Amino acid sequence: MLRAGIDIGGTFTDLVMWDDDGGQPVIHKLPSTPDDPAVAGIEGLKALLKNAGRDAAELDFLCHGTTVATNILLEKNGADVGMITTQGFRDVLHIGRKNRPLNFSHAQDVPRQSQPLVKRRNRIPVAERIRGPDGSVETPLDEQAVVRAVRALRERDVDAIAVCCLMSFLNPVHELRIREIVEREFPGAYLSVSHQVSPLYREYERFSTTALNAYVGPRTARYLDRFAASLGELGVNAGLNLMTSAGGMVPASEARQSPVSLLLSGPVGALILGIQVGRQVGHPSVITLDVGGTSADIGVAPDGDLRMKHLLDTRVGDYDAMMPMVDIDTIGAGGGSLAFIDEGGMFRVGPRSAGARPGPACYGQGGIEPTVTDAMVELGWFREIALEESGLTIDPQLARRAIQQHIAGPLGLEVTEAAAGIYRIAVNNMVEAIRVNSVSKGYDPRDFALVAEGGAGAAFAVYAARELAIPLVIVPVSPGVGAAAGLLCTDTKYEYRNTLWQKLDDADNPSVHQRIEASYIALERHALTQLKSSGVSEERTSLRFMAECRYAGQGYELTVEVPAPPVDESWIARVVEAFHRAHERAYLRRFEDKPVMIINVGLAAIGAVTALRSDTIAAGSQHPEPSARIDQRTVSFLDGHGSRPFEARFYRRAALKAGNVLAGPAVIEQPDTTTVLPPGSTARVDALGNLIITFVEPQDE
Amino acid sequence: MSELAARSIQSGLDKSSARSTGVGGDVERRWDRVDVDPITQQVIGGALHAIAAEMAELLYRMAYSSIMRESRDIGAGLVDFHGRQLCESDSTPMHCGSLPAYVKGIQRKHQGRYAPGDVVLHNHPYHGASHSPDYGVLIPIFSGEQHIGFAGCTGHMVDIGAASPGFSVDVPDFWAEGQVVNAIKIYDRGVRNDAVWSLIMDNVRTPEANTGDLEAMIACCRLGVQRFELLADRYGVDTVMSAAEDWMDYAERMMRSRIEALPDGIYQAPVGWLEDDGKNFGQPLRVATRVEVDGSDIYVDLTGSNDQVETGFNCPFEGSVLPTANFAVRALLLDEALPEGAGVPQNDGVFRPIHVIAPEGSIFNPEYPHGCEARFTQINRIPDQVLQALSGVRPEQVTAGNSANVSCFAYSGKGGQGADDYWVIIEVNEGSYGGRFGQDGIDAIDTLMANTRNNPVEELELSAPLLCERYELRDESPAAGRWRGGLGATKRWRFLEDTNISSTGDNRSDDPPGGIFGGHDGFGGSIVLNPGQPGEQVLPAKISNAQLKAGDRLEIRLVCGGGYGNPVERDPGAVFDDILDGLLSEEEARQHYGVVLLPDRSGIDSAATRSLREKLMEKLGKDPGAAG
Repeated sequence: MLRAGIDIGGTFTDLVMWDDDGGQPVIHKLPSTPDDPAVAGIEGLKALLKNAGRDAAELDFLCHGTTVATNILLEKNGADVGMITTQGFRDVLHIGRKNRPLNFSHAQDVPRQSQPLVKRRNRIPVAERIRGPDGSVETPLDEQAVVRAVRALRERDVDAIAVCCLMSFLNPVHELRIREIVEREFPGAYLSVSHQVSPLYREYERFSTTALNAYVGPRTARYLDRFAASLGELGVNAGLNLMTSAGGMVPASEARQSPVSLLLSGPVGALILGIQVGRQVGHPSVITLDVGGTSADIGVAPDGDLRMKHLLDTRVGDYDAMMPMVDIDTIGAGGGSLAFIDEGGMFRVGPRSAGARPGPACYGQGGIEPTVTDAMVELGWFREIALEESGLTIDPQLARRAIQQHIAGPLGLEVTEAAAGIYRIAVNNMVEAIRVNSVSKGYDPRDFALVAEGGAGAAFAVYAARELAIPLVIVPVSPGVGAAAGLLCTDTKYEYRNTLWQKLDDADNPSVHQRIEASYIALERHALTQLKSSGVSEERTSLRFMAECRYAGQGYELTVEVPAPPVDESWIARVVEAFHRAHERAYLRRFEDKPVMIINVGLAAIGAVTALRSDTIAAGSQHPEPSARIDQRTVSFLDGHGSRPFEARFYRRAALKAGNVLAGPAVIEQPDTTTVLPPGSTARVDALGNLIITFVEPQDE
Repeated sequence: MSELAARSIQSGLDKSSARSTGVGGDVERRWDRVDVDPITQQVIGGALHAIAAEMAELLYRMAYSSIMRESRDIGAGLVDFHGRQLCESDSTPMHCGSLPAYVKGIQRKHQGRYAPGDVVLHNHPYHGASHSPDYGVLIPIFSGEQHIGFAGCTGHMVDIGAASPGFSVDVPDFWAEGQVVNAIKIYDRGVRNDAVWSLIMDNVRTPEANTGDLEAMIACCRLGVQRFELLADRYGVDTVMSAAEDWMDYAERMMRSRIEALPDGIYQAPVGWLEDDGKNFGQPLRVATRVEVDGSDIYVDLTGSNDQVETGFNCPFEGSVLPTANFAVRALLLDEALPEGAGVPQNDGVFRPIHVIAPEGSIFNPEYPHGCEARFTQINRIPDQVLQALSGVRPEQVTAGNSANVSCFAYSGKGGQGADDYWVIIEVNEGSYGGRFGQDGIDAIDTLMANTRNNPVEELELSAPLLCERYELRDESPAAGRWRGGLGATKRWRFLEDTNISSTGDNRSDDPPGGIFGGHDGFGGSIVLNPGQPGEQVLPAKISNAQLKAGDRLEIRLVCGGGYGNPVERDPGAVFDDILDGLLSEEEARQHYGVVLLPDRSGIDSAATRSLREKLMEKLGKDPGAAG
């Protein structure tokens, strides 16, 4: 099988091609084309095929990670959306949860009001009401009012219509009828129906998700259509698949319906590659640190499982989206993060960034403020010629001048000490973020390996790992195109949830068993149909049943994996125990005497992708061959609270052989990244070419 | 319309009774103050911030009652043994800065007698509690044998066994407002005092929720202790505490530099009025605020405010008034949305230059044992008055009058559809902001000291016999202004079973939020039982345990903020948008804003608008009061 992964980010488009029948992966990187990201995607694919000497028709599998939907939201250039909603609830999107983003501020902006996803004029209420908890009809739907509303929205020329009725997750009859009327009266409108987008209780979050889906829907759909058409013109026969925020792949036809599920498509690939590499190395629990110029993405996968974000955290930009999202945290810390002294005299790094332009001072593109990259240049880790292939040159004098003028001078420090400080603060920002995403969720970083990805991850990973007592760092073969490589090993996945609201204290009640079982079976049927229509064969299909539970009276759920139906007394006992355990892990306590409730039932239907073949690289001895050593220089590493010079060897990654062992202090260069090995750390090249870095002794600073 | 608010008075204030909202830098230490390099400084600052955030997150997610988990009516952080805040979570401002007073309250009983494993519970409003439903949990932190501080959190309990469910305003004293837990060690050296625990839980209506919430609060503090110990192990307690003190000094420097930038002088807000005390209806209460800027110190003087009242409508001084004055100054001078305020942590340093004067026996400093549970509405007027007082010197940073109240309802019943046993729901309703320089007032949102979240209607209806018929913006037009006032919400409940209700709040009927710099005044709220039906009845803002029948409806309309600046100067496009969005009629656009639409209503008639605006301006010139 010939596979290709296309990861289109804001700055670069990365592509990887892989042949299951043998040969090395082929990689291509080119600048993105933000006006139409498909252009770089298609150009890149052409180049990739040419470099590999393959024909487009030979491609069997294509997966695409995209920031298209995300950018529509961030740049606020989505569709004109109309909404049909329950009378009396016109302003759910406007009021939200009625809290302010900031406490101590009168000047703050509240984007849900100042830049609404659906303007008030286009939110049209109609008489209808479903009543809880039984889902009965309190007020019948006024169909004439719906017709008038749809016609009014059509005349206003909206692009999309969101249908948002209160309590629709209990009984969708009114939303379905509205949908029919819209389809009849306004066939061209992009439709987004709340119980279909996210059939979960909490009206603001559900309406917001539905409105977001409508907001990004038309443009995302057009983009996907265009991309698919260009692939066809290129002669590609394989279907286009998309990476979702939930870390699964869906065909473009499905993504078109639910583009809100693509909002976190971009950063997921890197985490999936990290999991794959962790498995290869025999260390399945991984934390990925994917660092670029302006931000760092942190993913945590205990036992190689993708963890989903807590409902409280599923926001994208300024808006709430109640969709399954892989738990990836993005912080404003990267090579381009700026260092400065604030007016109260505090030494700070980031989240402000020098961006691609002017970029770090050392690139000589007009940047004058020092960045983290400048600090690393001053420490001596980046040689002047290291980035030659990317067309950038490094001028250490410019880095030094910026640090002297803005940091070292004002603080009365030596320039190198100031550089060490900038780097240390940047690492610390990443360390705090990793800690919040691991320790505070009940995971001990000491049980994980840290996988360095992105252009800059390998320059931070070793120090970050040491700070967190993570015993092992893995630098994959091509960390710079990690996200694209991750796309090659992503399973097809459909996720469905539905609010059930069922207490489990009546464990031997057959009607409770039936109710739960029926809800799972409904999800299962739907999911299997979807998988089948995406062409997943039965033997590759697996189902994971989930329940989102809480103690009766609590307000937020924890997700536990549950046995497949049938549901009986022992099924309930197992679910209750699984929830007690999950609660104890998350909150350090379990309450045996409190009744457990299933709030939502969930199902992930997975079509497994064939695992990538693990290719070995040429073996060598413990000692790298002389050709791998390209330089030796005096460079500085952190020491105590400052830094100390060391003689460091510089190696070329491509010349390393399996079995080579490199002791820090050392620097390993490759076109897409630089790995920094401080004193006390040792890198071993494994059979597959990964760098496995361990620590000789925990260095106490 | 209120007059341009600020005016300077020459004579100084009597500062002999002024209390700083902070503890200060010159205190006994149980660690050596060492020099901390700027990098380690930054690292420890980040860690402290993360600890407080993590503590609060745990509490939100683990808590039972909707008031803690959805409304997030909690605070969490680390304090030293003086009660000086090292770090604090980003939760409800009312809780921010109240921990020091709780520490003072428990120190008077236990100072010198803490042991590892102790957990202290406290809610005494005359010894530091913000009000009695706000339980405080404090766990001592040790370094070796030395007691150096506490991990603490505060959180609003849904019911604490008051005379009526949830709360009520019309009570004779603070004992009627719920059980008092006066600095009790509910864990002593790691052993839970089951007798006390049982006594507490047996005397509340919602023992399930209270137990879950209290467990969550204890878990939150234990996490704080754990995290602090890890940090101290890594860097040494001297370095951690010195860095924490450096951060306090930094925050103090930043706050002082902002205060110094204001001209020295005394600034007086117009007298404000509260509707009543919840018992003596028709007798308004006075709120008087003066602000003195004296070098790098600032004084909030509440002298002249009403005498204490005989109901629970008084404000605990230490636990409520001090943090409020602090908020008032910080939010104005170190606004988090602006670069100057964004990086300044909320710790003891911010509190130090801010002082409060509130005479004993006044509504803002009541004498024991006056009731003092229902304090939020009055408290929230303080920051609003500080804004008015300083509007002349910070015209682009202040807001027009805000709703500056809190409308809080308790609904309860003894069992019913989908509910367990005795159900009590507390609902904190939102208000709205006044217009701001460059931005309209924020609609339907918690203001100032309040920042809680609503309960999803879909959750309440699944948990209690309630049906929401309406929850949207009010039908009236917002207060006119160059930047218009925010609109409040309207909410209508139908009760499916017999239900008890209590409420506290202030509809601002005597004293609506003022417009500023030519903006129009905002307008008050209302509470109506069975609107538009036989038996329609207007209720006061403070309801003490009324009995409603199944089928009754209650409509709550919330207060709307004032406008900022002359409406005739409003961007006509913004006026047109408000018309399209159904917030403004064409007639109002003409009358208040001088904006005329084209005959087909497709846009603005520029020429007609220009000439109408000229006329309106001319009229204003002759009669400057006409804008309001």
